[in-house]
Amino acid sequence: MKKIFIFLFSLSVLSVQAQIASEDLNGIRAIGSPANPKVKVYWNKYSDQAEIYRICHDLAKAYPDLVKVQSIGKSVEGRDIWLLSITDFKTGVADRKPGFYIDGNIHANELQGTEVALYTAWYLAESFQSVDFIKELLKDKIFYIAPTISPDSREYFIKQANNPNSSRTGRMPFDEDGDGLIDEDLLDDLDGDGNIVMMRRKSPTGRYKVDCDNPQRMVLAKPDEPGEYEMLGYEGIDNDGDGRVNEDATGTYDPNRDWGWGWQPDYIQRGALYYPGMLPETKAVKKFILEHPNIAGAQSYHNYGGMFLRGPGAADDDKYYSRSDIQVYDYIGKLGEKMVPGYNYLVIHKDLYTVFGGEIDWLALGRGIFTFSNELMTSYKLFNKNSTENRNSNTEFEEFDKLLLFGDAYVKWKPYNHPQFGEIEIGGPKKNYIRNHPGFLLMEDSHRNMAFTILHAHQMPKLEVVEVKQKDLGGGLTEVTATVMNRRIIPTHSAHDVKFKIERPDYITLKNATVIAGMTVENEDFNLTKEQKSHPEKIEVENISGMGFVKVRWIVKGKTDKAKIEVDSAKGGLTFREVTQ
Amino acid sequence: MKIKLLILGMVVFVSQAFAQDGYSSNSQLNSRLKSLPSKSKLAQVSSIGKSSGGKDILLVTMATKPSNKAILVVGGVDGKHPAGTEMAAKLAENLVALSADSLNKLLSNKTIYILPALSPDALEQFHAKLKYERSGNATTRDDDRDGKIDEDSFEDLNGDGLITLVRIEDATGNFITSKDDTRVLIKADPNKGERGKYLVISEGIDNDKDGLFNEDAAGEVNIDKNFTYDYPMFEKGAGEYQASESETRAFLDFLYKNTNIHTVFHFGLSNNISEATKFDRQKAGKRIIGGLLENDATVTDFVAKAYTKAGLTDTPTLPQTPGNLTQTSYYHAGRFSYATPGWWTPKLKDSKDSTKKAAGPAAKKESNPEVDYLKWADANGLNSFVSWSKINHPDFPNQIAEVGGLKPYALYNPPVQYLDTAVVKHQAFFIEYLNAMPQTEIVNSKVESLGNGVNRVTVTVVNKGLLPTYPEIGDRVRFVYKVSAKLKLAEGQTLISGNKNNYRKAMASGESETYSWLINGKGNISIEAGAPTSGISNLELTLK
Repeated sequence: MKKIFIFLFSLSVLSVQAQIASEDLNGIRAIGSPANPKVKVYWNKYSDQAEIYRICHDLAKAYPDLVKVQSIGKSVEGRDIWLLSITDFKTGVADRKPGFYIDGNIHANELQGTEVALYTAWYLAESFQSVDFIKELLKDKIFYIAPTISPDSREYFIKQANNPNSSRTGRMPFDEDGDGLIDEDLLDDLDGDGNIVMMRRKSPTGRYKVDCDNPQRMVLAKPDEPGEYEMLGYEGIDNDGDGRVNEDATGTYDPNRDWGWGWQPDYIQRGALYYPGMLPETKAVKKFILEHPNIAGAQSYHNYGGMFLRGPGAADDDKYYSRSDIQVYDYIGKLGEKMVPGYNYLVIHKDLYTVFGGEIDWLALGRGIFTFSNELMTSYKLFNKNSTENRNSNTEFEEFDKLLLFGDAYVKWKPYNHPQFGEIEIGGPKKNYIRNHPGFLLMEDSHRNMAFTILHAHQMPKLEVVEVKQKDLGGGLTEVTATVMNRRIIPTHSAHDVKFKIERPDYITLKNATVIAGMTVENEDFNLTKEQKSHPEKIEVENISGMGFVKVRWIVKGKTDKAKIEVDSAKGGLTFREVTQ
Repeated sequence: MKIKLLILGMVVFVSQAFAQDGYSSNSQLNSRLKSLPSKSKLAQVSSIGKSSGGKDILLVTMATKPSNKAILVVGGVDGKHPAGTEMAAKLAENLVALSADSLNKLLSNKTIYILPALSPDALEQFHAKLKYERSGNATTRDDDRDGKIDEDSFEDLNGDGLITLVRIEDATGNFITSKDDTRVLIKADPNKGERGKYLVISEGIDNDKDGLFNEDAAGEVNIDKNFTYDYPMFEKGAGEYQASESETRAFLDFLYKNTNIHTVFHFGLSNNISEATKFDRQKAGKRIIGGLLENDATVTDFVAKAYTKAGLTDTPTLPQTPGNLTQTSYYHAGRFSYATPGWWTPKLKDSKDSTKKAAGPAAKKESNPEVDYLKWADANGLNSFVSWSKINHPDFPNQIAEVGGLKPYALYNPPVQYLDTAVVKHQAFFIEYLNAMPQTEIVNSKVESLGNGVNRVTVTVVNKGLLPTYPEIGDRVRFVYKVSAKLKLAEGQTLISGNKNNYRKAMASGESETYSWLINGKGNISIEAGAPTSGISNLELTLK
């Protein structure tokens, strides 16, 4: 038996070796990167639906014991919302392990959330054999990764004409301007290059001029200086003849204002619809989250700005963030600032702007899940420093284009004969510049942000019965005292969760024994206990705090030799220990 | 006279055909509603969605043209109030019973939508073998958030099929009997020298031994707590999040999409109609608006007067509650929105009072709704109280425990025949309200030739109704269609000056706005003006 075991063991070692030493590598593996991965992906581009489908399904095929793929619902236009479950399926019960939920791209023009999510899935699967930390992580936890939760608009952004800021919305047809007509005045790609850029017209009354150092760039003339140009907005035509250009584009609602915490209507929170949960995409995510109470941590990737954001989205909700919960965020957020240079740990309503009805708040406050939202990409990454210029006069993006991208990032100004404006010029940043990473920065930032999220996921509760004591009370009675410890900093219930009883208590049960009384031990040294009168064998504890412990005690009649302790926590997972070992 | 008696006799007969004080079960209600179109061509019945228990939510549309400006009457939102459902259904029945002429006239340019039971799941409990006041639908909820579902329901300890109260003589009790009616229990007030005598719990036992009684029974999300405005997150009965329930969403989808709905009337357990609402600048000025906007507060005076004029007096004070339909319809959907219980305990005429001078506020006695109700019920020979009787309660051995109390639903749901007068009065009020509705018209049109084919076209749009086109808050709501004046040109005509499409804010009664355009060309042009809530008019003009 032993021999066979050793043989098998050496085989598996061999196979790992074989993987690393593959001929295909033509060199030596770079540290930190999976060598010769089974699923080949280029990480310096943005994936469309077909590529997302391929990566997800290829991972599931290549690693059937590590990756499963499912559709959690359909989008407005009927596309699947793919979700990968990644864990060591051979160890434990997958959906009972502490779960970490990741999604990207809720704002469809914020492409790279998808790439970071996909990179994470790929990295976890491809590194399981070679990196012990990842192997351990996937034994203990499960990752649920939805690379894009706005598949329609992502496809629209990639395949149709857009500008860096358009296609933030979903694709539900909608009467944007209240005139009873739907989508009657869309953006117009005048030159058919797939990019919606700016329109300018030479004008004796214009207040703009060309920046002499960066001819791509339009700047305001000095207060006492005549201008040369007037700016006419984004490329477009007044399609419906109402004197307004591009005023009724598709959608123009915000899927990240469609969530059921502190939701407010459109006049308070622009982008909201009739009520939270009108969109099939957000509904699918909510349903998945509610069906997976094991989710203890979450990340929703956005761009732009280089931020690790935590809630709340509205100042009024600060009261729901207690000190102990903030300490958890602080630990992860502050380490993150070191891990991803140029990124800052911030609070949404204080440091960004107020958001009502956002996904982060629903996850954190509606469901009690410790949630971060990373705003990917920052101009810091261009020259590894923050510009000292203010936003209107800094030229980093133009200079970066000139020096490192050799002019690839801008559509150069060119003449165009417009049906309403006459002779104009069109030009400006391409849709996938500014907010989205240039290719060579994408892979590095994907890895760094993944590492931040793994730090977060690793800190989800890990429960262990660290000590069991038995004491003979005489008369056939035994006192059994168990200490259950949480080895990580995230508690099984946030303080907010405990206050509002969002998730059920944790249960610590003594099985295979006759329990006549049960209690929580508040202080063992002074024998302070709190009895639980009903179902004494199944002690309910409201929380097991981060790096903390609880002690429970049972008075047992008869034998305890077959007795077993079960710790059952929705967010902390399931763990067992025999009383007599 | 004889005929009248006969009809009355028939009514009584019909009423008795329905069980439970004449209240319809959900299936009986459905057949009543589905028979309406056979009585009038102007009535249609459709479903706006399904309850969480899979029951259709039926809508009655009474219209000559459904897109006309409309009012929406809704009942049965909180399941505790089946009277609202009955009243809304009766209103529909009364309307189809009108002569074809009067109904045609009433609906000539208006639509009445009636939604008698928004939460049909809850309605069923009124007819269940075990009757308890149930507010919620069929969604499964862990009411007390302890990880166990419906683990502590009610028990009928005295076997009367009704869930009332249990009072236990106990040293820790805080309740005593009321001096005005010894059947009624009130909280002891130490400031009045009162010491408690009874513990009071709902009828049942502590099934899960957690020290709480009947804290987790079936009947889960109260739709009138699940709406988006001022939503009571984490409160029992409120649901998982704002508008989590299919009934809530069906209502909001219907309301938002039917941009012609000007006003929502709710037969429910709050009252904001019988007295004018005072404008509160501070509340109205907050980012999350907490009070009616100024113009909208002004209108409530007119509405309250019309309500009282219809003979609807002594309406009880029932404040608005968090997450309810009425406030959401105003603050979020941007429509006028009023609620009334529809029926309430009528004031008994006190013979002594008529000889006295009007009593000052100091003489005003505190009233207890339960005491007042029982006084009225006794006077009408209604048996709506379960007398206190001793039982053995397993959780209180060796203590005196008695079951009793007001029968479930009694306070706001009298036997149906008592609703008839209330429905007739409300019908009169609704007719008055419909007559006051906004009416946008195009008036004083003028075509002047400036020569060489250039015409100046001038029109005025005026609101001839007594109410505004839509509430002031509607101007903030993206989904409320604004008052517009649109010019439609034919081939060969060009606009030299003026906007083709003009939008403006809500138009008060008597308010008007003049639009003019310079147009080059010949032939006819058309102008469309108004709003879905105030009527859309079309005018054809010929260029000179």
